[in-house]
Amino acid sequence: MKKSRILSLMALLMLIVSAFGCSQQSPQQQENAKAPETTASQLDTILKRGVLKVGFDTFKPWAMKDKNGKYIGFEIEVAEKLAEDMGVKVEFVPTKWSGIIPALLTGKFDIIIGGMSVTPQRNLKVNFSIPYEYSGMSVVASRKLAPGRSLASEFNNPGTTVAVRLGTTAAEAAKNYLPQAKILFFDEESQTVQELLNERVHAVIASNPLPSTLAAEYPKQLYLPSKKDFTKEPIAFAVRKGDPDFLNWLNNWVRVTMSKGWLQNHYEYWFFSNDWETLIQ
Amino acid sequence: MTPLDAAVLAALAGVLGFVFYKAATGLNYHWNWDIIPQFLLRYDEQTRSWRPGPLTLGLFATIRLSLWSGILAMILGLIISLFRVSPSLFKRQIGTTYVGLIRNTPPLVLIFIFYFFIGDQIISLLGVDTFVYTLSDGTKDFLSWFFGPMNRFPQFISALITLALFEAAYIAEILRAGIESVEKGQWEASASMGMSRSQSMLHVILPQALQRMLPALAGQFISIVKDSAIVSVISIEELTFQAQQLMTTTYRSFEIWTLVLIIYFVLTFLCSLAVRKLELTLKRD
Repeated sequence: MKKSRILSLMALLMLIVSAFGCSQQSPQQQENAKAPETTASQLDTILKRGVLKVGFDTFKPWAMKDKNGKYIGFEIEVAEKLAEDMGVKVEFVPTKWSGIIPALLTGKFDIIIGGMSVTPQRNLKVNFSIPYEYSGMSVVASRKLAPGRSLASEFNNPGTTVAVRLGTTAAEAAKNYLPQAKILFFDEESQTVQELLNERVHAVIASNPLPSTLAAEYPKQLYLPSKKDFTKEPIAFAVRKGDPDFLNWLNNWVRVTMSKGWLQNHYEYWFFSNDWETLIQ
Repeated sequence: MTPLDAAVLAALAGVLGFVFYKAATGLNYHWNWDIIPQFLLRYDEQTRSWRPGPLTLGLFATIRLSLWSGILAMILGLIISLFRVSPSLFKRQIGTTYVGLIRNTPPLVLIFIFYFFIGDQIISLLGVDTFVYTLSDGTKDFLSWFFGPMNRFPQFISALITLALFEAAYIAEILRAGIESVEKGQWEASASMGMSRSQSMLHVILPQALQRMLPALAGQFISIVKDSAIVSVISIEELTFQAQQLMTTTYRSFEIWTLVLIIYFVLTFLCSLAVRKLELTLKRD
């Protein structure tokens, strides 16, 4: 009885050890297997596959679902144009913003085209192309809780609560510009808006045009403390590290497309007009 | 109905009414229910036909996910529970370890770990990714009835396996309790009939145990439907994920959450009804 128990315990231990042994061995094996692959660019993989997989999250008006369930928005058009110039089909992989970089690194898609601002922290994990657009951060505040404030810096005191979306540069900007304010983090943009409308936070920090559209939709409850954006952040494509060929192609795509005025033209349509609003509601 | 029942009902209705009144008037919120129906059903101008809206598509994904992971979890759970009641110590320990490991960790963390580390290994090992690209369009359309859009198939499989692994631990415990609830005399009787252990399990013990564990199993299946919402964090386009995306686009949080609540309720309530029916049929036998 006792002997069989010890035997089976030992067998279990062996199993666990061998499992760990395998998992320790597998990264090495993978590295060996991947060594020739890394010299081949992701660009070749995409061309061979005939499909460009694009990671993004819903962000008005960067990328959103229209009434027919199709994705529309500035980033969607950029991704479609990019794929068209590459001569491949595009496949959209909607991904939660807070997990978008791990998803890129584990190969769920080839590239992030989602209004992602370049930050040094992100740049440690991924490679960025040259910026194809700039986004500005702005504040929208509650008339009832924080009336008549004119500068963003007036929100920098312990009595002020600010809501931001987790993992965005708005969250970083809030931490940097308003170190004394209380900052609440939410997974979705809609949750921050709800907190503001329910008068549980004094203000929301987000990239434009969200603050200005909100102030326009709820003129009695909300206002813009400052007409000007308080940051200007470069927006770029993010790809996995160690792929100079892909990056070179992307950089030159940005240069060419920008020189033709295509990017500016489409940016203005999505950010400074409301013509597309009827497509989503 | 006694006067007390009536009073309780009236009080309940009063509270609900007050909540709705407050929600409608007290909140700084522009209610707009008009835009909601199109998320369920929309008329497609191009093909001139009615098409499911984003929320309905999400509901389909939720049903597919729950159904497949329910079946998979059932099979896996049965194996684990047989391990748990096995005379072999080694098998018992494997079963105990599995159940202990899964039940004592938060599901959200498990989902992330499976998805980012283990799911990938399984998917690339099976070659699912390349397999999908080799399929013809016709096959893809056909398979998408069962598994949703085929270009998201690897993610779907990953979520499905994760959910099944997780739920199997709970199902295994239900099955084990069911099997152990069958009286010892039944084992002895079947042994005296000359049945082997597996024969008595199959012909005597499991049929009796099944009836006892059905309510708990049904509860667990309904749980799977609800737990499937958790895979929205790894971007599976099921009901909760679709709802969150719609909210980020339209900012109609209250309307959409209310609708999603109703959809989940109807879905799980129908499941409960079906199980009650099944229970009654089994009892009659």
